[in-house]
Amino acid sequence: MTGQRSSKMAVCVAVISKENYPLYIQTIPTEDDLKFHYTVHTSLDVVEEKINNVGKTTNDLRELYLGLLYPTEDYKVYGYVTNTKIKFVVVVESSNTALRDNEIRTMFRKLHNAYTDLVCNPFYTPGDRITSRVFEKVVNAMMLQDS
Amino acid sequence: MSRQAGRGTEAKKVSAELFTLTYGALVAQLIKDYESDEEVNKQLDKMGYNIGVRLIEDFLARSSVGRCHDFRETADVIAKVGFKMFLGITPTVANWSPSGDEFSLIVDNNPLTEFVELPDGHQNLNYSNLLGGVLRGSLEMVQMEVDVTFLQDALKGDSTTEIRLKFIRRLEDALPAGEE
Repeated sequence: MTGQRSSKMAVCVAVISKENYPLYIQTIPTEDDLKFHYTVHTSLDVVEEKINNVGKTTNDLRELYLGLLYPTEDYKVYGYVTNTKIKFVVVVESSNTALRDNEIRTMFRKLHNAYTDLVCNPFYTPGDRITSRVFEKVVNAMMLQDS
Repeated sequence: MSRQAGRGTEAKKVSAELFTLTYGALVAQLIKDYESDEEVNKQLDKMGYNIGVRLIEDFLARSSVGRCHDFRETADVIAKVGFKMFLGITPTVANWSPSGDEFSLIVDNNPLTEFVELPDGHQNLNYSNLLGGVLRGSLEMVQMEVDVTFLQDALKGDSTTEIRLKFIRRLEDALPAGEE
């Protein structure tokens, strides 16, 4: 089995609550979990900075999609914040140059929709860890997309 | 400007999502209050019954269907007119018993259960049990005693939701005491 890594979409997807604790983190199984937990955690600082910045400078409504948060030598980290301060973080491989901005935006839109559906479940309390199988399916579809 | 006779034919529109969320909040609260799934099922059935006995009046006023001649007609009216009017869906009538006194309603997309996922530990919960009570209550008001059970439930992993209605007996109007 050759490492067809470039065809995968995301290597890590995380959902973070408004109090900045993780609600959901999913990584592709071959990678080291902890490394990604760390990457996501450090990206939160950049997210906070971006949210605070726009509030002070312009009167424009801040866009939900934050774009590239920061690149490391192996990975690129993208962020998205809802108006309820729920943050979505997606980590992709730097070598995956085929991924365009639009595709990342689509991923976040799907994540946001999946999160909205999840919150409409009367048995889910916002702030709980996410255990919904439906949500997991959406995330998994995003992570392992072999073309 | 004339007042519309009766209630008019158009139902006021309410957001379907608000309805789903309201029902969901109701069930979630019942679970918190009663803790046991069986108890919650019973309460949902009771509430459904209370809704059913009142809903039938609204239904008969708005739909102007006449008296049904047999149980088959009743089944069709329930599926095609009743469900359509109140929930906007048309379940399929199927699985008639050979004696013609039992049938199933196959509900494909139940608006009550949109977005809902049953948590582990509540496998006995009949989330849509209110519907059962509504059917029981409304049919009782037209002199039919029926027994309603859920054969399949999409929330519990089955492919669809199947509601079984069994005709028990025709109810004779009870005369008030002292009259002939």
